Amino acid sequence: MSLPALTSRQAEAAHPRGLRAARMRARRVPRGLPFIVPYLPFLIAFGIAPMLYALDLAFTNANGGVTGFRNFTRTFTDYRFVPAFNHILLYTGVWLGTLIVFVVGLALLLHGRANRTSSAFRFLFYMPGALAGAASVLVWLFMLDPAVSPGSFLLRHVLGAQLFVQSIAPGNLPFVFAMIAFWTGAGGWIVVMYGALNTIPHELEEAARIDGAGPFTIALRLKLPLIRKWVAYMAILSFATGTQLFIEPQLVNEASLGMVPDTWSSNQLAYQLAFRYGDFNGAAAIAADLLVIGLLAAVLIVTRTGLFGRED
Amino acid sequence: MVHVIQAVRTRRRSRPAIRAVLAVGLAALMASSVAACSGTSDTTGTSANAGATGSSAPGKVGGSLTVWVDAVRLPAAQAYAKAHPNVHLKIVTYDGDGNGATTLQAKIQLWNRTGNGWPDVIFSEQVNDPVWMAQKPFDFAAPVTGLIPASLLSQWPAPSTAQCTINGTQYCVQDNLAPVVLWVNKKLMDQFGYQVPTTWQQWAAIGQKVATEHPGYIIGTSGDSFSHWIYLWGNQCPLEQLQGSQLLINTADAHCTEMASLLDPLIKDGSLPPLSVFTPDFAKKYGGADDKVLMMPGPGWYGHDLFLATLHIPAGQMTTAMPLQWENETPITTGQVGGGPWIIARHSKNLATAADFVTWATTVFNPTGANARPGLPAYGPVAAQWLAGQATNPYYASDPTPALKAASSLIWKGWNIVTYPDQPVWSNTVVTGLVAGKSLSSLLPAFGSALGQAAQAAGYQVTK
Repeated sequence: MSLPALTSRQAEAAHPRGLRAARMRARRVPRGLPFIVPYLPFLIAFGIAPMLYALDLAFTNANGGVTGFRNFTRTFTDYRFVPAFNHILLYTGVWLGTLIVFVVGLALLLHGRANRTSSAFRFLFYMPGALAGAASVLVWLFMLDPAVSPGSFLLRHVLGAQLFVQSIAPGNLPFVFAMIAFWTGAGGWIVVMYGALNTIPHELEEAARIDGAGPFTIALRLKLPLIRKWVAYMAILSFATGTQLFIEPQLVNEASLGMVPDTWSSNQLAYQLAFRYGDFNGAAAIAADLLVIGLLAAVLIVTRTGLFGRED
Repeated sequence: MVHVIQAVRTRRRSRPAIRAVLAVGLAALMASSVAACSGTSDTTGTSANAGATGSSAPGKVGGSLTVWVDAVRLPAAQAYAKAHPNVHLKIVTYDGDGNGATTLQAKIQLWNRTGNGWPDVIFSEQVNDPVWMAQKPFDFAAPVTGLIPASLLSQWPAPSTAQCTINGTQYCVQDNLAPVVLWVNKKLMDQFGYQVPTTWQQWAAIGQKVATEHPGYIIGTSGDSFSHWIYLWGNQCPLEQLQGSQLLINTADAHCTEMASLLDPLIKDGSLPPLSVFTPDFAKKYGGADDKVLMMPGPGWYGHDLFLATLHIPAGQMTTAMPLQWENETPITTGQVGGGPWIIARHSKNLATAADFVTWATTVFNPTGANARPGLPAYGPVAAQWLAGQATNPYYASDPTPALKAASSLIWKGWNIVTYPDQPVWSNTVVTGLVAGKSLSSLLPAFGSALGQAAQAAGYQVTK
């Protein structure tokens, strides 16, 4: 996918069309400004300034002295650091994979249905996500207990769990959390994807059908490429959400009376460092690690999918 | 700093951040509604000298006071509010820091950072909480000497006072004493024709016997976050032994390995399941009218809190026996589960009332009958009254008090109270392994190194 993007950019640079586009963009900036001004103060106050403060904390010690990368090396050698990041990366991988496949798949399926069925299913998919995060985790605590779960059949035969403590065995956790996150988050994204699919001009679909494309071909070769950017957008936001997992392991930690460590995820480790050990600088260093990972993933996805490209 | 983490998250993850705020708001709402309910209970303190106590702190008792308690201590706080209409008491219930939670560390860090919000009094289920509360960076606890009259303080048993004394200063008073005894189901023992054991070996032999003769019955559990306090602390396993500035953690010690070898066959044959007694699974399998608890080494408060209130084991079955002895080794030692302390905040603007509250809750509050305190009170004179009440409590199959009384002086002193909670380490390194079918003996080395890591992270120098 990167090759065509490169060639088109080179072509743009060589072609007068590129120049015209650049001029047009320059003209648009002052016109766009009023639209983003109301958001800017909030972005600075609650987004950028705290981020800078966190970076400042990450490179200093408790007395404000500059320490370079010492907070980073110190937290990296902490015995909980590598397991926490391993958990998080495995979890994010599992979750992101299922999220993309199922959200796009279900949205494509729904888009092919008659309007009433489709809206009923959209509502159904959205339902689990309507529960606020902490509440949905509490519901899931019951779902994971074979004694009371309506899905106890699955727990017994898929996870091999007869007891709650077996459902939340360490090896199951990334998958369990991915399942919780999927069902609480996927519904919203299915609605977004459905909206994205609705922007595809009807004529395109009709032309494809006249050309002899069946529903599968239309979904995979026409609709999917056209909503690529929405998928990329979902991937970026979800990647950051995934790496910052906190509430799910935190509640399961409390519900399991400590059988799941309270530093299972990297965000929990940062929380523990800050509020149990009073090590705000170490916590800030881990927050900065997460920021870097999130930024790297975002850059990778943006460049790979041409999210901000304007050619189509 | 919480804003920083939150805000960095907000940027990328706005919905969960909102959820977190909602969750916090909800918790606050729940806490305040509990506070609103305070004083409606009919639980009363019955004592000859009710109202006669007073703290030796300067100032008048009155005004407003904020106390943080767990659910078990809620009746005491409510009774204080009823008995002291001049004190505007705000009660906040929380998880009590039980099972090694770190709720209080996080809260105190936040209060310290914002410079206000500290409650006046905290009850913690965690016997080690005062240790870190008395030190930097928390610096939360106020010394109780000078706040509570010395004549009263001297009535706490010496080991209890020792657990509250950090660097030579006493920072808390314990609510109750929680020595481990052997709980015995007299009805089942008689029915099966077993003798009450006096040694761990006899106890284990019964476990093996019941597993073949009456499978499904249990002689204890190994899956609680504090099971190591029952079996390893009780058997003098050195896992938390301060030697000067060094902390000794040695899972290879014979006292640890011999106990693990004794327990392993029992865990395997199902008579010592790796389940927590406070899980619904446990209550379903072993509790109720036809309960399957034959014996259970556990703290004194199990009688009321576990057997009666959680498992609903019928009256006339359970009673206590002396802590178990290892073969013929003397002296007999036992473990401890609980002994939660009351801590007064050094930030309190109402120290006189705070001290009065703690004094009242520990030395006066002693309702009788069904509302009786669940555990053996730490304060001597109240303990005597409480024991007299329990001796004739019809719930027990026989007088449980001789063993409770004797056990309270048998707690092994080689287990020191440290700043970090060790229960989560036991839960997530050992219990998860036991659930997965591994043996305790094979998990001990991993337990030792995980304890060592936790100790080092808390700033201890560890020797093995």
